[in-house]
Parts: sequence; C-alpha cells; structure tokens
Amino acid sequence: MLAFKRLLGLGGAVPAEGELDQSREKWVIEPVHVGVVARAKEFWRYRRILWFFAGRRIKERYESTTLGKFWLFARPLMPMFVSTVVFGNMLKMPSDGFPYFLFFLAGNSCWRIFDRSLFWSARSFDQNRALLKKVYFPRLIAPVSSVAPAVTEFGVLLGLLLAATVYYLVTDGKFYLRLSPALLLAPLAIVMVLFLAIATGLWMSVFVARHKDFQFSIRYFTQFWHYLTPVLYPLSAVPTTYELTKLHLTVNPRMLMQLNPLTAPVQLYKWALLGAGEFPGLTLVSSLAIMLIVFASGVWFFTRAEGASVDRL
Amino acid sequence: MDSLVVNGLGKCYILERESEGKGSRSFLKWLRSPLGGGDSESNTREFWALKDVSFRVEPGTILGVIGPNGAGKTTLLKILARVIMPTTGRVVGVGRVVSLLELGAGFDPDLPARDNILMNAAILGVSRHEAQRQIPEILEFAEVEQFINSPLRHYSSGMYLRLAFSVAIHMNPQILLADEILAVGDIAFQERCQQKVAEMGKAGLTVLFVSHDMDAILRTCNRVMWLHQGEIRRLGDPEDVVDEYQNAIWSQADIATSERGRRSNRLAEILSVRLVSASGKDIGGAPASEDVYVKIRFRTTKINLTVKCALDLSTKAQIIFRASDDTPRPLEEQGDYEALVRIPKNLLAELSYSVTVSCIFKRQNEDKEHPLVVYNALAFLAYATFVPDASPTARRLEKVGVLAPRLEWIVRKEEPVARV
Repeated sequence: MLAFKRLLGLGGAVPAEGELDQSREKWVIEPVHVGVVARAKEFWRYRRILWFFAGRRIKERYESTTLGKFWLFARPLMPMFVSTVVFGNMLKMPSDGFPYFLFFLAGNSCWRIFDRSLFWSARSFDQNRALLKKVYFPRLIAPVSSVAPAVTEFGVLLGLLLAATVYYLVTDGKFYLRLSPALLLAPLAIVMVLFLAIATGLWMSVFVARHKDFQFSIRYFTQFWHYLTPVLYPLSAVPTTYELTKLHLTVNPRMLMQLNPLTAPVQLYKWALLGAGEFPGLTLVSSLAIMLIVFASGVWFFTRAEGASVDRL
Repeated sequence: MDSLVVNGLGKCYILERESEGKGSRSFLKWLRSPLGGGDSESNTREFWALKDVSFRVEPGTILGVIGPNGAGKTTLLKILARVIMPTTGRVVGVGRVVSLLELGAGFDPDLPARDNILMNAAILGVSRHEAQRQIPEILEFAEVEQFINSPLRHYSSGMYLRLAFSVAIHMNPQILLADEILAVGDIAFQERCQQKVAEMGKAGLTVLFVSHDMDAILRTCNRVMWLHQGEIRRLGDPEDVVDEYQNAIWSQADIATSERGRRSNRLAEILSVRLVSASGKDIGGAPASEDVYVKIRFRTTKINLTVKCALDLSTKAQIIFRASDDTPRPLEEQGDYEALVRIPKNLLAELSYSVTVSCIFKRQNEDKEHPLVVYNALAFLAYATFVPDASPTARRLEKVGVLAPRLEWIVRKEEPVARV
C-alpha cells in the first residue's frame, strides 16, 4: 500500500530531521523515484518554462540555415506536392470524392504533426543536454516542449489547406471546408494526435538516451506506421475481408487497421474538416483508451528512468 | 537550527567496460537498462563519486568545498541542485535553492536580458510577478542597464557572468550553490560578489562554494569542507582545513596543476616571486650562461618562526624537479624577508619554464605546519647566449629534452690493461 502511494506520489509528510527552520518550505532529495502525481504537479508549477523552451526549439531549428524561415514552409510542403503527383495523379488513389491534394493534405497534416513530434521528443535528451546537466527543471518539460517545431509545421500545413480550399472555390466553384459544428472536432483530433505523439515520445526518448540505435530505428518504425494509417488512402479503400488461403483464415484488414490508435483521430480530422469518410465512432473510444494507457505508462516510465538517463548524458 | 541536512549521501556511477560486445543474448537486459536495473555482470564497474557524505549547515554559513579534481565537489553540488539523483542518502533543506553550476547555463543567447531573467525565474520557480519586480535591481547590480534589449550573445563574458550572478542572488535564495563562479571575473566584481554574499550570509543565506582558489575560499568562507575521493576528509575552520589540505596536496605534485594556492596565512604572506640576476636585478628571461636566482619575498606577522622553502620547476605541464631547502631557517623578528635559490648556469634548455613556490612556516616551539603555496608564481624563458653553430653536425647534436646541462666530457685513449 505504501509502495502504491509512493507510486502515485502521495507519500506521507517529510519526517522531522534535525532542527529545520519551520517557517520556510521544506524539501527533500532522496534516491527514490518521485511518483507520477507529484511529477504532474511539478510540471504544472513549471509550465511557464515550456513556452521558453518551445520558442527556443523552433528558433534553433532554422536559425543556422541560410534560407531561414523559408525551410519552415518548404520542408512540409515539398513532400506534399511530390506525393500528390505520385499517388493522386499517377496512381489514381481513391480519395472519398475529394480532390486528392486536399484529401491528402488533411490526412498528412495529422501525420506530420505526429511524426515530427515523435521524432523531436525522442531526441529531447540529446537536444537539451547542456541544460539537463546544469540546471534542474522537471525533466518532462524536455520531451513535451520538443514538439513545438512540429506544431509550427502543422500551422503551415493548415494555412496551405485553407489556401487550397479557396483555390478550389475559385476554380471548381465548390467550397470543401465543412462549415458546421462538426468542424469543432478537428482541433480535438489534432490534440489527440499530439497526445499520442508525446506519449510515444516519452518512451522513445528514454530508449534513445540509453541507446543511440533507437534513433535510427525510429525512422523505419514510423514509416511502417505511416502505411498503417489512412493518410495516403481513405479507410474505405481498405477491404473488410481478406482470405489468407494457405491458412484457411478470413481476416478483416479494416478492423485490424482500426487497432492503430492513430487511425481514429486521422479519420475524425478528415471527417470534421472536410466531411470526408465516416465518423470514426467506437474506434475513437478504443484509440483514446490506448492513448491513455501509453501516456500513463510513458509518464511512469519516463519519471523512473530520467535520473539514469541524465547520468548518461 | 539548520538550513540543510545531508545524511549519508552517495552517488554511484556504473561504468561500462568497452570490450564487452552488445550481444543479442543481453537484449532483455538492454531493454530494461533505462530503468537503472542493477546488473551485476562483470562488464560493468561501480564508481562512487560520493560516499556517505553527511553534514549540517546552519543559515548564514558560507561553506567552502575544496578538494582535488574528481573528489566529488561538483557531484555534491549537482545532487543538491537536483540535477542528478543520489544513489544513497537523503538531503533535507528549507527554502529556495539557486545554483550557479555553470556560467549562464540557463541562458538563451538569442534572447535579451529581460527575457532571460524571466526564463531563469521560471526555471527557479519564481513567480513572474516577483521576477518582474526584481528586473531593475538585477540589471543595476550586473551593470548592464544600457544593454537590456540586446541579445546575450552580444555580451562580453564579463557581462554574462555579472548577469548570471545578479539573477541568482536576486531570486531570493535561501541556499546558493556556486561552482568556482565567485572566483572568476574582474577583481572589482569579485569583491562586490563576495561582499554581497557576506551581506546575505548575515541575513541567513547559506552558500556552498566550490573552488580551487584557496585565497578566495579563505576570504569568503566561514567553514570549509575538504572532500577527498568522494568522502569528507575534514570539515571545520577555514584556516585549519586549508592548511592541512595544502600540506597534503603539496606532497602529491601531480594534482597541483589545477589548484590555485594561497599567498597568506596567519603567520606570513608571500609578497612576490621574481627571477633575478646575480647582481639582484629583476630579469624576465634566464641567459643559459649565467646563474639566475628565484627570489621569494615574504612578510612575517609573528615572531620566532621558521621557514622551509621549496621550488618546483616545470615545463610543458610537467614537473622537472622539486628543490627544497633541507634545513628550517629561523625568522626571529617580524618583518620582510627574502629567500633566494640559485639556478646554476648551463642547466636550462631553451624553453619557457614555470615555477611553483611553497614556503612552510612553523612556530619555533610547535609542530604544526602552515604552508603557503603559489602555483605557477613565475614563468620565464631561458635562452642561449652563444651564436649557434650552423653546421649539419651541430644541428644533429641540438639539445633535446627539457634540460640542457653542460656536462663534462672526457675522451681519452684507453690504457692497455694487463690480461689475466
């Protein structure tokens, strides 16, 4: 029971030790891992640092380049056009009846914010090395603030999306943006994606800090994940039955894809923003549950390992 | 009443041996390892940077922490600053802890002073309101008011330092952790820092100050802790601890390069260390063909003392020899003395040398030694006075090594020896 309380950070009062000045706030440093709740409280107390760190992350991303802010736009946009030409024009990928560019842009902005957030938060120990070794702040701030460049990139893509809808309004006479209360669910979808990215990033940052090998493998891991997420294609293009003839087994690939916690928010975003596809429904609940589990365990794992990780820097 | 209680504090690092391969059989262990699971396998080695350190500090104490490199001084400060987690033990303290482990570690060089102050305040857990109120005072103490809007990377290192220190002390700390910082910067600012620290010490501030500069330690601290290989060797009165420490490290010359010694103690003060010629004139270089002297001038403040001086000659960060006086010399009266040691001609090579000087003072009726050590008190160049012979043979026989003694050579025909 005591161990459980400790885990949650509800440990009892500090036992009296020596004669300490009682008028001031007392603190203890011990070789025990601080509980999750205590860490969360501390995180909240220090939340102002988050903005400073986030700003710094964005700046240092582009300041050493000659073209500077140009990259902020170029990096997310260039693959957009390439993919549109390859998958939309050449391979004629289905897109729920929307222009492929718009369809892909919506899905891809979800994916990008996930992918980039995971990428940066996984490297957060290395990125904040100088500070982590010299100054104390809640270590959770490091992976969380690292998602800032991904959020700015998302902003760029969102801007492009709005511009594209205007373009289609002029050329096709159709306004694709969904002007209904459902649009309010789009930010929620993005928050979910970001949440999952941070949750996964908490795990990965510790692994990367411990073994550089993970830094390389993350790229392949996310590439694989990318194809399992309905970004390049709509979920409706995935068949519901598939015969594994050799095993005499019938599987439902679409249902399997819905086990991917990223599927539902991406689907929700496209549905809320454009009205593309269907409302994810129950799968939203299951992916929320998975996210919460990954997040809670991630925070637990991170707080357990942060001390050892800083020692290794 | 204490402001800081440290109990049995220890920090263990697991060092990995490189030779062992990362085979797949250890994959599970490999995955578990971020949790710091204790693997007792033979490819790791424990290293205790800090071992069972316990002490208490009262408010107003300025505790100097001394010890050779690797003694655990910085580890101790980092644990107290929460940067690293201890392996054993417990620390209980009261009030806000502000650390100056590295100059401007929490600063962003792209932001102006104002934003940096606010960021540091956020890192230290000071409210935005309180920080904003302090900004004018911080800038004034740091003497950077006119640069408030320029980003910190345009600051000189002196301004950086002043700002860092100023931010730290204006955040209303109850405990200040300073690593070497009170001993850098220009003299005027150093004095102001030390004055400010002393002033705040009277108001109840506790300071832990790590330094290799014994003079700064003695000027600033009212207690000194000597760490040695992660353990407390001595903790007590600054004079006593520093004396003992200097005695100990003087006997281990290899540590000395990182230390800055002390020039004065309760018995005497070293005034100057000079290189002089045989006629007593100050010289900057040593001609190889003449005797030169190292002159140590010191002033005694007590009567009936004895002194034993020693000199380390080093070049290229290596001690060549230590020459010490073999008899204690009596100093009956109080006053200024000079000690001269001759460096014979035709000994030094054409190199630059540095001299470290130590004088061990004693009262005539006591055994306790009071050493003064001045590291790298003097640097000079030795030069040859004859025109070098440019022939190929001569070049091949050019001097190598760190000394160039003129030794006597005898070449003669062997006498026939009667065979038995």
